[in-house]
Amino acid sequence: MKITVSANLGGYSFNIDEDAYTELKRYLKNLEMHFAEEESSSEILSDIETRMSELFRQKLTSYKQVITIEDVREVTAILGSPEDISDNEGSTARQKFSSPGYHRMYRDPDHRIIGGVCAGVGAYWRIEPWIIRIIFVALAMAGGLGILIYLILYIVLPEARTTAQKIEMKGDPVNIHNIKESVKREFDTVRKTMKL
Amino acid sequence: MDLENTKAQMRKGILEYCILSVISRNSCYASDIIKELKEAKVIVVEGTLYPLLTRQKNSGLLSYRWEESPQGPPRKYYELTDAGREYLKELDNSWEELIDSVHLIRKGKQSTI
Repeated sequence: MKITVSANLGGYSFNIDEDAYTELKRYLKNLEMHFAEEESSSEILSDIETRMSELFRQKLTSYKQVITIEDVREVTAILGSPEDISDNEGSTARQKFSSPGYHRMYRDPDHRIIGGVCAGVGAYWRIEPWIIRIIFVALAMAGGLGILIYLILYIVLPEARTTAQKIEMKGDPVNIHNIKESVKREFDTVRKTMKL
Repeated sequence: MDLENTKAQMRKGILEYCILSVISRNSCYASDIIKELKEAKVIVVEGTLYPLLTRQKNSGLLSYRWEESPQGPPRKYYELTDAGREYLKELDNSWEELIDSVHLIRKGKQSTI
């Protein structure tokens, strides 16, 4: 026995197995992120959803009323992965830039108070530096651990001197999304294998 | 060099042209276009079509109207605008030129004389 979810796709209501629903949702989310920069992304997505709904309806009969994960895999294969669909030459360049290696932690000399460690950490995680500073001060007062960590980071982290390094320090906005997504994907696969 | 990639690049180049050609014969909705493109083997994954259609519509080459369908929700029927017809004519010409050029190159100069 499996739990099914009811979902509206292109104006049609489908009964979908829970695992199939998760897969489908991930696919659509991926597409959405892929077309995020496109002018009419919502229109493209709704057109694709309409087509999906058409393909799913062809799979249903009076004996088979629920969309399974195999159906979802088949239909998404017909429609293609976001990478297959995308035809921008620019996207390859963006992918290159968004590899995790391009987002590194530096000390930020432009916003430093002592050595730029907190400013650099803040820039890397996109957190206000003063929040990091408060944490460090609190750790320093509670036994001096903050001072030790600060010193280690000061030695380990290079200073962002060139423009390229400063860009790497902040990372690209698209980049963060990609990293989040890949982390999420990894998490999902890990979760799946654990279940099995 | 990756053969599949080179082939895909070739197909990509003519896909936009093929879409306009299909629509120029009859106003049609996305699944009709897909069917024709698939039969002609110029498209591999269906999803490629939708961003192209929307871009062509946004740049004024296509327009669409909603039409009731006997089965399922209303469908978007695409047709060429005047600008789209002009555009297609240009592409027709350059396609002819391209065929001649490739033909010339493949056969070598002597055989054409």
